[in-house]
Amino acid sequence: MSDPIYYWQALNRALDTELAADDAVFVLGEDVGLYGGSYRVTEGLYAKYGEWRLRDTPISEGGFTGLAVGAAMVGMRPIAEIMTINFALLAMDAIINMAAKIPFMSGGQFPMPLVVRMPGGVAKQLAAQHSQSLEQTLMNVPGLRIAVPATPQDAWWQLRQAIRSDEPIILLEHELLYFSKGPVDTVAEAPPMHRARIHREGSDLSIVTYSRMLDLSLQAARQLSEKGIEAEVVDLRSLRPIDWDTCRSSLEKTHRLLVVEEDSHFAGAGAAVVAGLTERAFYALDAAPARVAGLDMPIPYNGVLEAAGIPRPSDIVRAAEELCAN
Amino acid sequence: MHEPVTMPQLSDTMQTGRLHHWVKQPGDAVKKGDVLAEMESDKAVMDVEAFHDGYLAGPLAQTDTDISVGAVIGYIVDTPEQATQAAPAPEPPRVAPTPSPVGAETVHRPAPPPTSPATTMSAVPRAASETPPSSATQAAASVEGFKATPYARGLARELRIDLRYTSPAPDGVIHASQVIAVALRGPQPDLEAGPPYEIKPLSTMARAVADNMIAALRTPTFRISARLPLTALRTLANAEAQSLTLLLARACAKTVRAHPRFNAVYTAQGLAQRERVDVGIAVDIPDGLVTPVITDAADRPLRELAEDWRILRDRVKRRRMSPEHYQGATFYLSNLGDFEQVTHFDAIVPQGAAAILALGAEHGGNAEFTLSCDHRVVFGAEAARFLETLSSFLADPKPLIGD
Amino acid sequence: MESEKMVALLRDMLLARAFEERAAEEYTKGNIGGFLHLYPGEEAVAVGVLHAAEPSDYIVSTYREHVHAMVRGIPPKKVMAELFGKKDGCSHGMGGSMHLFDRERRFMGGYAIVGETYPVAAGIAYAIAMRELPEAAICFFGDGAVNQGTFHEILNMVVLWRLPVLFVCENNHYQIGTEIHRHSAVVEVYKRAAGYRIPARRVDGMDVLQVRHATLEALEQIREGNGPQFLEFETYRFRGHSMADPSTYRPKVEVQAFENQDPIRVALSETLPRYPSAEEIAAAGPNSIERLAEHLDQAGHLRAEQLQVLREDVARIVDDAVQFAKASPDPTLEEAQACLDCNRGTEVLI
Repeated sequence: MSDPIYYWQALNRALDTELAADDAVFVLGEDVGLYGGSYRVTEGLYAKYGEWRLRDTPISEGGFTGLAVGAAMVGMRPIAEIMTINFALLAMDAIINMAAKIPFMSGGQFPMPLVVRMPGGVAKQLAAQHSQSLEQTLMNVPGLRIAVPATPQDAWWQLRQAIRSDEPIILLEHELLYFSKGPVDTVAEAPPMHRARIHREGSDLSIVTYSRMLDLSLQAARQLSEKGIEAEVVDLRSLRPIDWDTCRSSLEKTHRLLVVEEDSHFAGAGAAVVAGLTERAFYALDAAPARVAGLDMPIPYNGVLEAAGIPRPSDIVRAAEELCAN
Repeated sequence: MHEPVTMPQLSDTMQTGRLHHWVKQPGDAVKKGDVLAEMESDKAVMDVEAFHDGYLAGPLAQTDTDISVGAVIGYIVDTPEQATQAAPAPEPPRVAPTPSPVGAETVHRPAPPPTSPATTMSAVPRAASETPPSSATQAAASVEGFKATPYARGLARELRIDLRYTSPAPDGVIHASQVIAVALRGPQPDLEAGPPYEIKPLSTMARAVADNMIAALRTPTFRISARLPLTALRTLANAEAQSLTLLLARACAKTVRAHPRFNAVYTAQGLAQRERVDVGIAVDIPDGLVTPVITDAADRPLRELAEDWRILRDRVKRRRMSPEHYQGATFYLSNLGDFEQVTHFDAIVPQGAAAILALGAEHGGNAEFTLSCDHRVVFGAEAARFLETLSSFLADPKPLIGD
Repeated sequence: MESEKMVALLRDMLLARAFEERAAEEYTKGNIGGFLHLYPGEEAVAVGVLHAAEPSDYIVSTYREHVHAMVRGIPPKKVMAELFGKKDGCSHGMGGSMHLFDRERRFMGGYAIVGETYPVAAGIAYAIAMRELPEAAICFFGDGAVNQGTFHEILNMVVLWRLPVLFVCENNHYQIGTEIHRHSAVVEVYKRAAGYRIPARRVDGMDVLQVRHATLEALEQIREGNGPQFLEFETYRFRGHSMADPSTYRPKVEVQAFENQDPIRVALSETLPRYPSAEEIAAAGPNSIERLAEHLDQAGHLRAEQLQVLREDVARIVDDAVQFAKASPDPTLEEAQACLDCNRGTEVLI
């Protein structure tokens, strides 16, 4: 397909393809069946595949994610949709204590072909409990893999790869990305799920980012170009594992690192990225690594404050200019 | 082979020793039995000898510090290349600059704690005057007194730049661009080898000249000389009560007008041709050289030029020149005719012009004129014709007075 | 029921008791580390339920699972080796006492978090239902676990979707050191389940024959597609005097706490195995092993000498298990990494 499609459509088509290909695949979550999904991701699939494969669950995140774990242990390929990452806090036991650990604790006996899909991040004035980015909570869990598609193309690729993998994979989407559009080539071979991708080449600094911040970083890069600063923009595509090689090569070219993330500054994914890249590319750095991140504050309801609570392109531009000042 | 040389135990009671000095330097060939260094044990001054053939390599331990018996003080390697590649000396103790009584303009690079005089004879390999900091000391910025980014340090090592002589960026840290700038400027002298020194930063104007001269190094230059008559011009100058130099400038301008190529300048995109002739005149000032510019020197009335020249000379005297007064000339004139010993000299073609005319002292009514030209813009025959034209103006200077 | 089957029940109960006793001893010697949750007194539940289960059913157990594992068919030596943390353990030394797994025998764990057995069992049951097989997921949990949120979430879903789960509550009246009247508003667990419209009943968990019988009935219902079933087995975990008089007894923990003892030490003493002495066991009241043995003797299935032979057999099995465990090597870090990456296949991540 050559026309651009919505991110949610890419996910929808990916699910359709996988549901058709393998009877063991099924989706469960709140409003995924009859309603077609809070973000339309499962639209039309209930009618096609029926209630066992598009299972509407009660509001029981801990219960149904754990149920998915049990099903995965006996060879099903469940895709648990948690409506937003904020609700995933209720399912942390299932994700961290069960999914990530059963294959290991059992001495390598059980498969865990589980996918947990959820959007995170700030949308439009949904207030503190609906606006979090909790990826760092999951990043430090050995046994999990985390993919973060920022484009419809990556959504198509990574969701299918996640479903086909026998390991537990978190697919981190973003509420404001569902209605973003982009081209999706359904025929092209997918790159490895966790390989980072350089969306824009540049020689003055490396902007390393993921999810919705990719788009903002590209906007900032265009503005920076007009000021004579050429930014290289790297989309991590994955938070566990992290493609250090691609990032390090970029730094060996640009010598300046700017990490952009939506999460709060203190100990977000960006902190791990900075630490890891400093260890690996220290001698290439011509300036201290910088991070543009959200404020260390719950997201306020007020719209102006909400916008100020997370990075904007102007923040990225300013940080890049400072980074390149010398 | 990378054989460590260790502090030997030269008596049964010896626990530490002190190196007096290194007899061999990194890169020197050594044979088994050669004396590498002289050292002092608890009992006597003795030799540290080599137990292998090869080449001495660093990092060499410092002299005049207590070193435990058995500690590594150097290495012997197979090849001289290995010796120079091997991690160079650890940060040698710096000689604190002699505190200078001169105030404001002395650089205040953060001085390390003064070390005892004996330590100046440190184990710094003499090979390169730019002693790159060793990788082992990359962490200790504060000890060295400067801050540099990891990449800058790596570059400095590769380019053999001494970070001690590298000015930091406005943020106080040496970044890659500072190192590269130093590299492009070329090697620095090793001042530590000589008597105590005091650094005076260049004034903006002097810095501009220095940068201009460095840039000018890339200009392919040829020089062509001629002995030309000055008598007629001098007579006219006296008659009109005008400065000889000004009239010379006027003559140059008119000559340039006749040979327009001399009013072009080379750029990567092509020759930039100018219409207006602006002549820069080199003037000697106490702290160097300045080139006030007479604009439109070929076409304006002479009395206007004279007025400009008077104002400019005044500015020079009062040190009130700004860049617009001394930059942008399309042709330059440099006159050392006042110095009767000077027969001739070559001037350097400054950036922005295709040629500069230099003249020595007058003897027997003639002076030797040397025209230095950018060979990308003008060629030999043309330069010769330029001098012919100039010669005719000098022989018959009346047209210079007109407009 | 035939003689053979009944003797088998007794044998497994004897093995269970002997194994747990020996495990306690090995723990005090330092061969077993971490937490060790022992099962003395509750044998009838695990033995009765597992003897009623089919090999094609799935077993999901808690951290108090050694007996469940062995009766399910995991060789005692592999269980003991796992307790010792050795490579030949059923989880290759990666899990320990609380995480016994055996895929072939459909023994699905071993969970340390109270309340995790429900979702795992429900997920397995979901798969069984999708595959339309006459299998069941048997879910063990204690009375304390009934208060965990997942109990309610899962019971609701399991009833909603008619999943083939047999819920087995091993009600030993204690949640670590807290007696059931202090941890649950409703002490009849089956009544709480009934609130979700699951057929639920309470059975005497000290009688292995009753346990087995109730389980067979419940499983039959499940296999016919009638949805989940709930069995509450009342049982006793030997804890010294605690069984004697629940209503007037003030738990040792409380008493000690009031006497300003170190509460950590008190809490630990409740979790570390303190194997009851023979007198304590005798004083505890009806003992399921004694009961069964007596019953078998009276019904003519078993004579005293045969019982003795059984005991010796069981003792030897346990001995062999310990020797096996001691001789087994420690797993290496590479093997641990291989366990972590066991589902990677040939995929190269980046």
